[in-house]
Amino acid sequence: MTQSGYAEFKSSVPLHSFTGESNNLTGMIDFHENVIDFYLDLNTLRTGIDRRDRDMFRTLDVDEHPFAEYTGELTSSFDHDSDEKQRVTAVGEFTMHGITRDLEVSGYLQKQGDQITLEAEWILNIKDYELEPPSILFVEVDEEMEIRIETELEPRSRDETLGGN
Amino acid sequence: MRTVYETLCDPAHMPKPVIIPGAGRFMRSLLAPGLLLVIVLTLVMPDRTEAQLPRERVETDEPVDNVFWAMTNVGISTVRNLSKGNLNSSVLHTFGLVDRGIEHLYGLDDGANTRIRLDYAISDRFSAGVGRMTFNKVVDIGGKYNILRQTTTGSIPVELAVKASMGINTMPNTGYRFSERLSYFTSVMIARKFNSFSLQLTPMIAHFNRTVGDNPDQLFGLGIVTNYELTDRLALSAEYLPVFGDRNANTHDAMALALNIDTGGHIFQIFFTSSQWHNEEFIMANNRDRFWKGDFRFGFNIHRVFGIGR
Repeated sequence: MTQSGYAEFKSSVPLHSFTGESNNLTGMIDFHENVIDFYLDLNTLRTGIDRRDRDMFRTLDVDEHPFAEYTGELTSSFDHDSDEKQRVTAVGEFTMHGITRDLEVSGYLQKQGDQITLEAEWILNIKDYELEPPSILFVEVDEEMEIRIETELEPRSRDETLGGN
Repeated sequence: MRTVYETLCDPAHMPKPVIIPGAGRFMRSLLAPGLLLVIVLTLVMPDRTEAQLPRERVETDEPVDNVFWAMTNVGISTVRNLSKGNLNSSVLHTFGLVDRGIEHLYGLDDGANTRIRLDYAISDRFSAGVGRMTFNKVVDIGGKYNILRQTTTGSIPVELAVKASMGINTMPNTGYRFSERLSYFTSVMIARKFNSFSLQLTPMIAHFNRTVGDNPDQLFGLGIVTNYELTDRLALSAEYLPVFGDRNANTHDAMALALNIDTGGHIFQIFFTSSQWHNEEFIMANNRDRFWKGDFRFGFNIHRVFGIGR
């Protein structure tokens, strides 16, 4: 379970790229039920320029659709007895801007003491989520963005994590 | 945000008993298996909401965005500052008086006082930069520090920033010694954004190492800057800079009205202003025009932030 994971996107326009970052990635991996569930409050993303943030929030329509979320399951095994970095794959659904698409993601899990670190990245095409790439002085932002997440997952009981759902 | 799973399990979307008055036995024989199927599917369908974390918004207490749209309104610095690692470039132009008429293309033929300025953010609260303007070929260096940032929850109700700068007149053949070319400036900027309206008060002091005649070597002023957001892309702003106490002969309080345009990458400010000078100390010292008497000129500023820190 994490509530302070790191998530970033990297976007580019010709001759320039910029990164949006958040340290509010929330999520869990339930190995017993084989469930992966992560979400990010998109309002916590920052690119370093507040006016650009405002344009980004408008594009994402964060008032109506505040979260980007992924729910799925691991399709590869994870050896809890190993401290090695292990490549894993997950299949599930990614939802953003009210649009849900199937998404297969590869990443790495590594056990470090009680914690498990997670790293994953994938390419997101914003047009798949009915988002129009914003333009900067008539130069359109690339519709493909690199997404990267990185976090440390702490052990929690199922009831504690899910709030008694 | 409602996920697909939540929507499927929402009681509002659960199948309900259907009563169809007057329906025949044949229709009932068709509906009964359908209802049974729905009930069975509902019972066996896994409730995926149990597997999901409850979605909760992050409560933040962050600085209010866009109290002003640019680091300089027309001639007066604003509380706006840069995020760490960012570079702001500004190009400012003021032309001749509009009342020069069509023969002078309403002042555009009279030459521009152009100022170029670069500021770099060393931290999220402190930026430093260098600039130069045409008149007197003044080169200035300075910095701005944000002591307080107005927050979204109101835990800090105002913005408070200080600015300090030093200018040097680099005009050749003036006969001035180096120290006589120097001027100093400092101001305190207090601002608050009320929804779409922002107000800034800026007490300031300027010192000139060399003055002409009986002009005082220190000038005190109070800059008043307002900004009103018409839309996300357009804002009207105004500034007024009265000088208090002793002032230079034949000078008047400066005034400007501006239209701010956000193009998605640049902030353009198109304005009418009484003063052709840039930098508050030179505006206080040299403005001889009265806005409300028709002594105003066209000008425009272009501001661009480069996010080189990320």
